[in-house]
Amino acid sequence: MLSREEVLKIAKLARLTLTEDEIGFYQKQLTRVLDHIQDLNQVLTNKEAFVQHVPVDAEPFREDVAVPFANHDGLMKNAPAVENNCFLLPAIMEQN
Amino acid sequence: MEFGTLSIQQLLSGYQKKEFKPSEVAASFLKNISDKNEKLNAFLQVRPDETLSQARALDEKMSQVEMLPLFGIPVAIKDNFLVQGWQATAGSKVLSGYLSPYTATSVERLQSMGAVIVGKVNCDEFAMGSSNENSAFGPVRNPWALDRVPGGSSGGSSAAVAAGLATVSLGTDTGGSIRQPASLCGLVGLKPSYGRVSRYGIVSYASSLDQVGPFSRTVWDSARVLEVMAGHDGMDATSAKRAVPRFTEELKAPAKKAFTLGVSRSWLEGVDPDVAKAFDSAIEFFKKMGGKVVEIDLPHTKYALSTYYLIAPSEASSNLARYDGVHYGYRTQSAKTSEELYSKSRGEGIGREVKLRIMLGTYALSAGYYDAFYLKANQVRRKIQEDFEKAFTQCDFVVSPTSPSTAFKLGEKTDDPLKMYLSDIFTLPVNLAGLPGLSVPCGLDSNNLPIGFQMIGKPFGESELFAAAHQYEQIRGEFPVADMAKGRG
Repeated sequence: MLSREEVLKIAKLARLTLTEDEIGFYQKQLTRVLDHIQDLNQVLTNKEAFVQHVPVDAEPFREDVAVPFANHDGLMKNAPAVENNCFLLPAIMEQN
Repeated sequence: MEFGTLSIQQLLSGYQKKEFKPSEVAASFLKNISDKNEKLNAFLQVRPDETLSQARALDEKMSQVEMLPLFGIPVAIKDNFLVQGWQATAGSKVLSGYLSPYTATSVERLQSMGAVIVGKVNCDEFAMGSSNENSAFGPVRNPWALDRVPGGSSGGSSAAVAAGLATVSLGTDTGGSIRQPASLCGLVGLKPSYGRVSRYGIVSYASSLDQVGPFSRTVWDSARVLEVMAGHDGMDATSAKRAVPRFTEELKAPAKKAFTLGVSRSWLEGVDPDVAKAFDSAIEFFKKMGGKVVEIDLPHTKYALSTYYLIAPSEASSNLARYDGVHYGYRTQSAKTSEELYSKSRGEGIGREVKLRIMLGTYALSAGYYDAFYLKANQVRRKIQEDFEKAFTQCDFVVSPTSPSTAFKLGEKTDDPLKMYLSDIFTLPVNLAGLPGLSVPCGLDSNNLPIGFQMIGKPFGESELFAAAHQYEQIRGEFPVADMAKGRG
């Protein structure tokens, strides 16, 4: 089973705070799924042959042209906190 | 007049004969929603004034019925699509109250061809789930049996149409999220080929697997919605630049009448006996129509579950990194630093199953594990794709039941993630291979619950899929509708 520390490390990488209950819960659930996934090791695969998922006739590249977005107000209305038409956030660096 | 069980084709015919007007139809659907939604919890948002004003504008254009292929058709939209002026929660507390600043390409195309939006419908949080029990806004109930799930993740989309609260609906399908709920609710559900429909304006889950598709009562209706919304879109770099056939025109005179179906018996082990029986009887119908059945081998489909649960969570862990409480969505009230703002907003806002998948993906992509997990999964994904390529040298379609069981009871599979994941065992490989898959109702089990027949086509082979399923539908006869849709219940 994944250890408590391993779950906390994954949660930190994923930027998720977990409650005490959740730590135990995800220890079990992650272990359950990861154990199942081990069956992939039974498949002999070719290192070079992995999937090309984008359709051949898609056009992944287009002209790099700026297109104005009309609904600026609509974007700002969804902001959790705004000041002077800017997104308001806590300080990035600690203040002395 | 009751419009809830009519198809697009029947509504269009009524409009052409001027038997009723779009505003009457829209008002009738809004009334059904207000009467029945309390029991179902399918709709998360309705805007009656907006819906009626769209419909009234069409009342003035009755002469244009033939020019607008979805004239006055009531459509419900899964709540992970952006539609300007409407909310888009994706079933998550994180996006509670989020108002779409623009409209998804697929929805815009439906609207421009006369569709009337009746509401936004419930789904599993970020489209992750097979029962709609992962929604932050409560589970949806199946109109065929209210103590059972409608399937997921597009459970609101399937319940809405099955209960007669919308003529058609849109959903998204990443591992079966259209086909499985369509099967559990007795509807036609289509996951088009990857690249067929633009993904612009849908809330991303796993970008190499997500596709937009319709729920409908008939194959013709599915073909009509697809022909309107499919086609290249400059806003989605993975949308295919190829012509979209006039699918409904093709149905008038299908090019081919006798199809060869491929069945892999070893893949089908373990399905419920009633499901197996209905599946076999659907195959007999095809044989009666001159079709052939060949045994095929899909040796890697048994690894689809593991492959999917590495690839989808990996992509999700990256896609969902954007919900950090900065620009939109839920923000914690207790953060003093930026770091805390991200972690606490995500920890408090994101639900149980979504956190599990984010962590799975984070783990699979973390240093030292990438080759063993993510790369390996993509190599097996290629093997699964090759299995289908080989199968299609022997047959026109690969067929299977859509889901190993019919609708299960609420709470029955919520404790064990793998038990829930197994509901999608027949649909997952189709997304991994990027193929089109259609679920068509093929019978009822001993509890009077619908069973679905899945037909998997060649890449961009929707025309043939529609032709075969349409033919089957005509021989099968009209499929029963849930009591709830008949104005009872």
